[in-house]
Amino acid sequence: MAQDVKPTRKELMEIDDRIELSERGHDTLEQKRDGLIMEFMDILDQAKDVREQVDENYETAQRKLDLARAMEGDIAVRGAASALDEHPEITIQSKNIMGVVVPQIESSGVKKDLDQRGYGVMGTSARIDEAADAYEELLESIILAAEVETAMKEMLEEIETTKRRVNALEFKLLPELNEAKDYIEQKLEEQEREEIFRLKKIKAKKEEEERAAVEEEAETSGSTTEEPITADD
Amino acid sequence: MSREVAVIGSPEFTTGFRLAGVRKCENVPDDEKPTDLDDAVTRTLEDEDVGIVVLRDEDMEYLSRSVREAVETSVEPTLVTLGGGAGSGGLREQIKRAIGIDLMDE
Repeated sequence: MAQDVKPTRKELMEIDDRIELSERGHDTLEQKRDGLIMEFMDILDQAKDVREQVDENYETAQRKLDLARAMEGDIAVRGAASALDEHPEITIQSKNIMGVVVPQIESSGVKKDLDQRGYGVMGTSARIDEAADAYEELLESIILAAEVETAMKEMLEEIETTKRRVNALEFKLLPELNEAKDYIEQKLEEQEREEIFRLKKIKAKKEEEERAAVEEEAETSGSTTEEPITADD
Repeated sequence: MSREVAVIGSPEFTTGFRLAGVRKCENVPDDEKPTDLDDAVTRTLEDEDVGIVVLRDEDMEYLSRSVREAVETSVEPTLVTLGGGAGSGGLREQIKRAIGIDLMDE
């Protein structure tokens, strides 16, 4: 890059401005990255708890479903599952954490009463109700996990982008700008030295010329004063 | 806009969710997973009514590289895997890449 820049004072001033701006941007981005990591750590703890809850609920739900299948038969369980007419729905809204838009998921119709399930009480047993209950609970924790894990994904993406920007400034742009600045400063100094040398040379030449002129003048004036003498001879 | 939860997996896996009222279930029997799971996941990802996709963590192995990457990085709908513990669904790898440390390590 250093070879592409023009070694002029104007360019040096422009590079100085760019270095100042890049350094300020670098500091701000570093602060943003650290802030995002702190926020992420908070969400991470929450995510671990939610994940634990999901795994626990999944295990319970599976056990209860297996039990219902064993007691009532697979067909009865599938029949009850097909009879459901109330469906869980989720609404996704968004909130902002340090400039990162993360979802906020609200659910409705997940937990249902026995009479809302639609498969009737007479034809099915309590095992199926228990399995349905357990799966409803699992679904609730899945919805919470989805919210937290999506927030994590979004924040991780932002952290990665910010990190890449910080690194690009720190290891690419700023070194290049500093290199260009050094190059221009060196060139300007060299030019200055050359200029001084040139001036000294010109001065010396002028002095020599002046001296030569004085000598010549002295010589000519000397010869004119001598001439009448020689004329007298 | 209200959305729904979708479940993809073997009929044994989806039955429980249907008991909880989930309508969007893609049943892919175990022996058809290597061939059909990719299509089922792609179909679900393209469905605009779906807000959350539920998959079993072991089933992720059947997905092709591109579909797996698409589902793991998808935000809308978002993926929740079951049975894989903390950091499943590509989250652990993403954390390692972004932060530089495996924070999911217990």
